[in-house]
Amino acid sequence: MHKAVLAISAIALAAALSGCQDQAGGGAGGSRDQIRAVGSSTVYPFATAAAEQFVQKNPGRKSPIIEQTGTGAGMKQFCAGIGAQHPDIENASRRMKKGEFEQCRANGVTDIVEIQIGVDGIALAESNKGPGFRLTPELIYKALADDPFGKGKNKAQTWADVDPSLPKVAISVFGPPSTSGTRDSLAELILEKGCLTDPAMKELKEKDEDRFKATCTRIREDGKYVDSGENDNLIVQKLAANPNSLGVFGFSYLEENRDKLKDVPIDGVEATYETVATGRYPGARPLYIYVKKAHLGVIPGLKEYIEEVASGWGPDGYLAKRGMVAAPEEVRAKNAEIVRNLTVLDGSMLK
Amino acid sequence: MTSPPPDETLTRRIPTDWKGQAMQRRIAARYRAERRFRLIGLASILLSAGFLAFLLVSMLGNGLSGFTRTEIAVKFDFPRAPMVVDPAMLEGGNADQVLAGANLPVVTAQAANAALGEGGDALISSNAWLTVRDAIRDDPSILQREAVLSLPASADIDLAAKSQGTAQAEAAYARLKQGGHVSRAINMPFLTASDATDPTQVGIWGAFKGSLLTMLVTLLLSFPVGVLAALYLEEYAPRNRWTDMIEVSINNLAAVPSIIFGLLGLAVFLNMMHLPRSAPLVGGLTMALMTMPVIVIAGRNAIKAVPPSIRDAALGIGASPVQVVFHHVLPLALPGIMTGTIIGMARALGETAPLLMIGMRAFIASPPGGVTDPATVLPVQIFLWSDEISKGFVEKTSAAIIVLLLFLLGMNSIAIYLRNKFEKRW
Repeated sequence: MHKAVLAISAIALAAALSGCQDQAGGGAGGSRDQIRAVGSSTVYPFATAAAEQFVQKNPGRKSPIIEQTGTGAGMKQFCAGIGAQHPDIENASRRMKKGEFEQCRANGVTDIVEIQIGVDGIALAESNKGPGFRLTPELIYKALADDPFGKGKNKAQTWADVDPSLPKVAISVFGPPSTSGTRDSLAELILEKGCLTDPAMKELKEKDEDRFKATCTRIREDGKYVDSGENDNLIVQKLAANPNSLGVFGFSYLEENRDKLKDVPIDGVEATYETVATGRYPGARPLYIYVKKAHLGVIPGLKEYIEEVASGWGPDGYLAKRGMVAAPEEVRAKNAEIVRNLTVLDGSMLK
Repeated sequence: MTSPPPDETLTRRIPTDWKGQAMQRRIAARYRAERRFRLIGLASILLSAGFLAFLLVSMLGNGLSGFTRTEIAVKFDFPRAPMVVDPAMLEGGNADQVLAGANLPVVTAQAANAALGEGGDALISSNAWLTVRDAIRDDPSILQREAVLSLPASADIDLAAKSQGTAQAEAAYARLKQGGHVSRAINMPFLTASDATDPTQVGIWGAFKGSLLTMLVTLLLSFPVGVLAALYLEEYAPRNRWTDMIEVSINNLAAVPSIIFGLLGLAVFLNMMHLPRSAPLVGGLTMALMTMPVIVIAGRNAIKAVPPSIRDAALGIGASPVQVVFHHVLPLALPGIMTGTIIGMARALGETAPLLMIGMRAFIASPPGGVTDPATVLPVQIFLWSDEISKGFVEKTSAAIIVLLLFLLGMNSIAIYLRNKFEKRW
């Protein structure tokens, strides 16, 4: 008897599962009726704003699904293949890497449209009650690198150890984890720049790219730099509680929390809308969305969604209202052109 | 025969000197220990109750205001507004389509500017035109006349009304209040709408429904499998090394961190079986894996507690083993099984980590229609809102937590009710 019970439950389970698989199989083989995007949590608020506009202007359409995975993990999913079970759009807070592009190609995702939707700054900020840091990429690099200039482990305990002109408070920086695009930008925009102030590092860059990367972008792991997850609000709270700490996060969070935080000028340039938009602030970085050309026309509304994004990226657009910094005029014109012609990304331009 | 004289030392017992100092000290020490133990117990109850009260008070303090919203009355003069909508066209099913092209955002902004002075459009929610759209759709006749509509205030004004805003917004709010434009209303959309980008527009319904669907899948799968497994292990399985190993594995499984079930779900349900991402179906399957061991353990304990005499009696009067199980053992064990199930389900309801892995950490603006539609669940929604930039989301996050707590409270109350109602003692 008990064998029969077992058999029945096994059959029921199998039937339930295969039933589901049929449905999903239908979905995967045919098409989806809603757009799916994955990727950066920095681009997420802008992507969702665009999704909302898209639904309001096209009432018949289903709302796009925007997932927060972080840029790197999103790229993996995006590049996993063509078809309804793979996302249509990758939101990226940095440019696609050469390796990711190859990965995409290997999986049949050959035609990718790259659109820069705007600019974000990675801002360094401190509490309003903080000592008022003024930093340069070099100082930041010296304070945060695991192995500054390849001369052995970082021993700096206080900012005064890094440079006597800085306040004598312990180094404590809250920032994004290594899976985050914000972290990549920190490495690329600030740490590398600081690292290259040493001529020996310039030489190393030409000779041994990998060692250069390791020396210049690896962040110390002795607790001076605290991974704070993908949650930028958490960093804001930490800063309010620890006035001597610095935080690294998206510029839009700084803008929204100006009552609690002030920005840390880098090279004497303050993080304002103006300096980020023009790229004068060293932490300014472009935001992208990547679209699979093969999905255009198959996934209903995908083209309209991209156009919706493009319609809102001006300085007075709805994306700017959500905290995005508009790209300079010529960049916008160039990308509007890409949206119109759906120009495919040339992989040889990537690094 | 005379008995030998009793031993002097045995018979001459010295009665305990209860009044003596040494004895009094020992008695006092005993009473003290008794009192101390009681106080420690009381203190631990107070401590845990204190934590709970702190959680509740801080959530209620932050979140209750999330259930209300600030509305601003704006007068619309539709016949003169720069829009052309033929009421006849609104009759069909495509009213939304018609109104989407009707320039409503501009009309709304102009009306707000006219009613509230220059810059009035910044005081109302940027999505306020949706309220206007719904009003027109519900009653096309207002297009022929003037109408006063209550529009949701912008997030800044809403915060100012709850005295958490910036100085500038508070000043603007004070002006509005003087003009008699503002009112406080129950935020019904919070209970009926889904995720949005504007904190004044967000709702919990989409996530709530996602949670319900996920729980449904979990229950349908884990309850029968768990109960049957428990029955088999208790009633049929021979006691040998294999069943011991299964028991250890099940106990282990109940203690495995939930994120591991998420990874398993990602590998099996998404990558191997190609089920749809972000769907309550996959969430429910993953949660079922997590809940099943809990049900098996609770079920085994409940079945074990049914006295053997009942089985023997049933067998004795000629019942077959299946009849014994289904007529006697299972009904008697059911209250215990159900309590265990509900506790397992409540744990699954509050679980976030495994769902992040299978794509439920997503912006989903419409409630799911079925178990294969993309959805999110309450705890993930709370997680998403806590990460939002706009400050208006703080109270919405707390409000969502209150909804989740009420949901949990409901489930646990059912568990206690079932236990008290059906439990038998022997």
